[in-house]
Parts: sequence; C-alpha cells; structure tokens
Amino acid sequence: MRASSRGVRWGWLAAVAALATLVAVACGDDGGGTPAAKSAQPGFKVVAVNKGQPIKIGISSILTGDLQALGIPIAQAAELAGKGVTVEGFSIAFERKDDTCSPEGGTSAAQQLINAGVVAVVGPVCSSSVIASQPLYEKAGITTVSPSSTAVASTKPAGRGVYKTFFRVTYNDAIQGPALANFAQNQLKAKSAYVVFFNDAYGQGLKDEFQKAFKGTVAGSEGFEKGATNFASIVTNIQNKKPDVVFFSGFFAEAVPFITQLREKGITTPFLSADGVRDEQFIKLAGKHAEGAYLSLPSPKLAGSVYDKFKADYKAAYQKEADTSPFTAESFDASTVIINAIKKVAQKDGDNLKIDLAKLQDAIAKSETTGAIGKIKFDAKGDNAGGETPVTFFVVKNGKFEAFKG
Amino acid sequence: MFWFDQLINGLTIGSVYALIALGYTLVYGILQMINFAHGEVFMLGAFAGYFVLLAVGGDDLGGATIIPAIVLAMFVAALASSSAAVVIERIAYRPLRNAPRLAPLISAIGVSVALQNIVLRMTGGRDRVYPRIFPGGSFGFGDFQVGYIQAFLIVASVLMMAALLVFIQRTRTGRAMRAVAENRATASLMGIDVDRTIVTTFVVGAALAGVAGVLQGLWIPNIRGTMGFLPGIKAFTAAVVGGIGSVPGAMVGGFFLGLTETVGRELLSAIPGVHLPNEWSDVIAFSLLVLVLVFRPTGIFGERVSRRA
Repeated sequence: MRASSRGVRWGWLAAVAALATLVAVACGDDGGGTPAAKSAQPGFKVVAVNKGQPIKIGISSILTGDLQALGIPIAQAAELAGKGVTVEGFSIAFERKDDTCSPEGGTSAAQQLINAGVVAVVGPVCSSSVIASQPLYEKAGITTVSPSSTAVASTKPAGRGVYKTFFRVTYNDAIQGPALANFAQNQLKAKSAYVVFFNDAYGQGLKDEFQKAFKGTVAGSEGFEKGATNFASIVTNIQNKKPDVVFFSGFFAEAVPFITQLREKGITTPFLSADGVRDEQFIKLAGKHAEGAYLSLPSPKLAGSVYDKFKADYKAAYQKEADTSPFTAESFDASTVIINAIKKVAQKDGDNLKIDLAKLQDAIAKSETTGAIGKIKFDAKGDNAGGETPVTFFVVKNGKFEAFKG
Repeated sequence: MFWFDQLINGLTIGSVYALIALGYTLVYGILQMINFAHGEVFMLGAFAGYFVLLAVGGDDLGGATIIPAIVLAMFVAALASSSAAVVIERIAYRPLRNAPRLAPLISAIGVSVALQNIVLRMTGGRDRVYPRIFPGGSFGFGDFQVGYIQAFLIVASVLMMAALLVFIQRTRTGRAMRAVAENRATASLMGIDVDRTIVTTFVVGAALAGVAGVLQGLWIPNIRGTMGFLPGIKAFTAAVVGGIGSVPGAMVGGFFLGLTETVGRELLSAIPGVHLPNEWSDVIAFSLLVLVLVFRPTGIFGERVSRRA
C-alpha cells in the first residue's frame, strides 16, 4: 500500500520534471521552425472588404516582455504610414499582435492575424518568429514584409524553397556579419575575438556569419538563453582567454547584464555588437558601462526628404525621437510598401472593395519605393536589393549613439 | 585563477538556487505540491528590495549607511515576498487543497504567468537596475580572489540556512511544521492548527526567496518581471536533486547544481574532444534532473529525511 502510493507520487513528480525540462528546452528553442513540406503555391484568396469596414493590415511585433521597448516603436511607425490614408474611400486599420520575439509567439500571432482577415502583415520583427510563422502565412497566402528580420535563414529557409510571401526591408546578416568582422579586424585591430551569442535564430545566424568572415582566431564562442542574467561563468572565461574584442550577438535585454558584469570585473576589452543592441534602452540601463561600445546597424536612415518627414511626423505623433530604437524607419517603409501595393490592386466591387492577395503579393514583389531608408526593391528571394550603403557603425559616447568615423 | 573563479561563480549562483529551492522543498514537504509560482515570489522580493534601496538614497548611499540600507531592503523584501505568498496561498491553493494534485499545480503555473506579466506591465517591460552600492573589488591572496559581493552573498545565504535549520528543529512552530509534514490529519488531532502551519511554511519559504532576490540584485543588478522563471525551474531541479521534501537536500542540491553548471561544465570541457560552452548549462542541469529521477528518484537525501520536512 505504502509502496504503491509512493510509486504514484514519484511517477507524478517525474511527469512534472519532464514538463519542466520540456518548458526549459522549448524556451531555448533555436527557432528551427516547422519543417514545412515543399509546399505548392501559396493559398492566395480574394478578400472582400464590406462597405464601412476598414482594410486590415496586420502587425506582428514584440508588444510584451523584455524587448517591448524595441517592438512598440516598430508597431507605431508602421501605423504612422497608414494614418489618414484611404483607398477607394476605404480607410486602413492596423491589427497589432504580440509575437514576443519567439517562435511560439510568431506562430500564435500569425494564426490570430490570419483569423482576423488581414490582407498583409508588417513583421514579424524577429527572425525566430519569421522562421516559425512563415509556413502559416504562406499557406494562407498572406504576404509579410519584415522591417527587421536580419537572419539569412528568413529568405533562405532550410529544407524548402524560398517563401513567395516573405519580403524584408532591412539588409541581412550575410552583409552585416562580414561588416562586423571587418570592423573588428581593421578598426579595432583585433586578432582574436570572443563570441557571446543568444541561442535563437538571429543570435546564432549572425554569430555564424561573423565567425565565417573573421580572419583572426575565435578564442571562444558561448551561447546563452532568453532572459539570462548570470554571465559570471562566461566573464571568467573571457578573463582567462584575454581576447582583443568581445562580439555579442543578441538583444539588449541580455547585453545589459552581460556588459555590466564584464566591466565590473575590470575587463576593458572592446565590446562589439549589432542591431539587436542598438537601442536607447541599452545605454539607459547599462549606463557608464555602455560607454565605448561599438554597434552596427543595417539599412541606415538617410537624411532624405522622406526620412525627415517621417522623423518629424513620428515625433509629433508619439512625442519621442524615431531613431532612439532601431528599425522604425524600416517599419514605416514596410507599411508604405504594403499600402502602395493595396492602392494598386484594390478593386471596387459594387459597394464593397475586393483585394486579390495573389495580385497584392505580385505588386509588392515588383514594387520600387523610395522610402525613409532609401531605395527599396526586392530580389527573387525577398531580400532588399535597393543597395544603398547597407551597414553603419555607431559608438556610444557620453550616453549617445554617435556615428563612427574611422 | 580560472578554476577558483569558476568555483566561486558556482557557489554564488548555487546559494541563490539553494535559497529558492528551500521554498519548494518546504511546501512540498507539507503539501506534496510544487509551488511553481515560487520563482515569481523571488522576483517580487528583488523588486521590493530595489524600491527600498531607491527610497533610502539609491546610488548616493555610501560608507556606513550601506549596511543598514541592505538589511532594511532584505527585511522589506522578505516581508513583501511573504505577503505575496500568503495571498497566493489563500487565493490559488487553499481552495484546491483537496482537489486532485494536478489542479494546484496548474493553478501555480497560472499564478506564475500572471505575476510575470503584471510586473512586466507595471515596469513597461523595462529592466530596473539596482543601485550599485556594494563595494566592488575583491579580497584574498595572490590568484585566489573573491569578489566582496560574492563572498557576502555566499555567507549571508549560509547564515540564513543555518537559522532555518535551527528554526525547524528547535522551535515550537518548527515542530508543528514537521508534524504536519509527517501526517496532516494526525497533527490536526494533536491540536496543531494545520492551516496556520501551512501558511507559516509558505511565509518562511517566501522570506528566504525574497532575501535571495535582494542578494542577487546586489550581485547582478538587472531585475525584470521574467527574472524568476529560470532560477525557479533551476531551484526546483536543485530541490529534486537534493531530495524534494528534505531541507538539507535543498541546500546541498542548490550548491551542487550551481557547481555542476560552472565547474562541472568546465571540467567536462577540459576532456579532449568534449566542448561544452555556456549554452550547454541548461542541458547539463536538466539532464541531471532526468538522471536523478530515473536512477535515484528520492534524490541525494532520500525519503527518510523528507518525511521530517
């Protein structure tokens, strides 16, 4: 009797432990994504918008969690592009859904947006979400234009052909990675680098591109999970290896505790990172430890008339500067690309409006836009082939991002 | 020195795990229930301590005022965490006391997610940064250096664990807790107020977690709504490894897990052909959990001790 009740108890505990392990493993998922079958054509439909209803555009962004400081300005910038715009007398409404910068969040946002009947989507923001959710969008025939997914795998998915329905405004890490490696070698004169990366599609992808291009020695390469705060062990390893540069591939949420612990240990090795860290929050939270950090950003904002107008409108609408966090201008442009395409393909159908999603995809694929970040047009994979100087570098100086001048 | 530094890193994070693990083990000992919201109780303690330190001067604190400020922060954090635990117990667990075991477990996960998101909402999803009042630097001789903060964290944890052992073994309330853990119905017949004893158990566990939150904040300054999740699961692992229900087991399990993640991983990496960088920490920790459950489900300290709370 006693033995059996004990057996039940431990069996139950084992189940809980297995669950805990699963949860932990799922949280550390690298966003490998759904191994979609080599699918046929996307499931394009024709969407009818009834009289008096708005045309719905989805936004898949980070609205909660540690990274909402990155995601909310992106959502706001996308909405700015549709303010006051009408197509054949129909207004535009945005549906915001939270993708939490994770594979699970990406698919859940996708499902909700598809159910809500959106005609296209700005986003997802993070590569991990793109990789997990794009099979759903492809199946539903809904085109997504990501302002910010930089992972190579977004336009070169593993185990299947290119997605017809995915486009991105920013430049990918096959450009940013080598640019970072060059910067480390030429500007920082680094012969050895220690790489610390976020264990997701973005962090790993950028790390791989950096390590491929870096000609010096990689003294070590260590990953961390979402929400990590304890970097003591990695910092000790860095202290031991004495690299010339520390390259951090991830987001500011973890970069802040990392650089704080690195500097408080008295390690002054240059810190180099990329777009995921180039957010005002990084400087605010890391304070003096952020000083001297080098950060790259793809698709720089150009001081053109579109950008100036965007910057002024953004400030008027949200009472803050658009360039304090990355990818706001890209998001504005992604939204603009979609809206222009809708204008091109929307057809009056009696009192209603008809939007053929296949034609919409085609119009986006063929679009050429002069956006806030400069010229935007897409190649066959959905990458931006606008070709204006793709990567800029910044250095943190007196609590501000300053463009780096060699 | 590299290995010594990793040893200290392991002991430091191990103390945090151990303090949180005690809360899991105490509650499990008495209710046979895994309180998955315990990681969030730890997080609430960290926030309470943060607000206290800000209120008494934040970064301007210095010299002799540091000690009373930290003690006050720990005290308020313990109070805040305990109050939270009492409320959680009352709302989410007590109504399910006689329900199937899965019910309070799911309820606990619900509380955990809710608390994370409430704090994320209230902080706008942004980190808060603990005032850096603890003196940096280290002491020791030659290559054997220990950071002041790490030494403080380890010593404070060990002292609290010692106090807990005395409390459980030597006080009336402690005896009541052991009696309820032994047999709830009989304890009740002996005149022990079972409900009150259960609340006391939650309070004690939560107080330890709250103080752990402040200690971690002094060490790793960034705190956020989701900070309790991973330490919570790790501490649960530590409690199981030590033998859930066993108080010394949770302490040993905490340190053991902390050391496994750091020194253990580096030792394995030192074997030629094996390369286990930091991203393997969680794999190692949770594999350990699975192995322990398969081969020694009662953990290091086994069933007998667990019966004694």
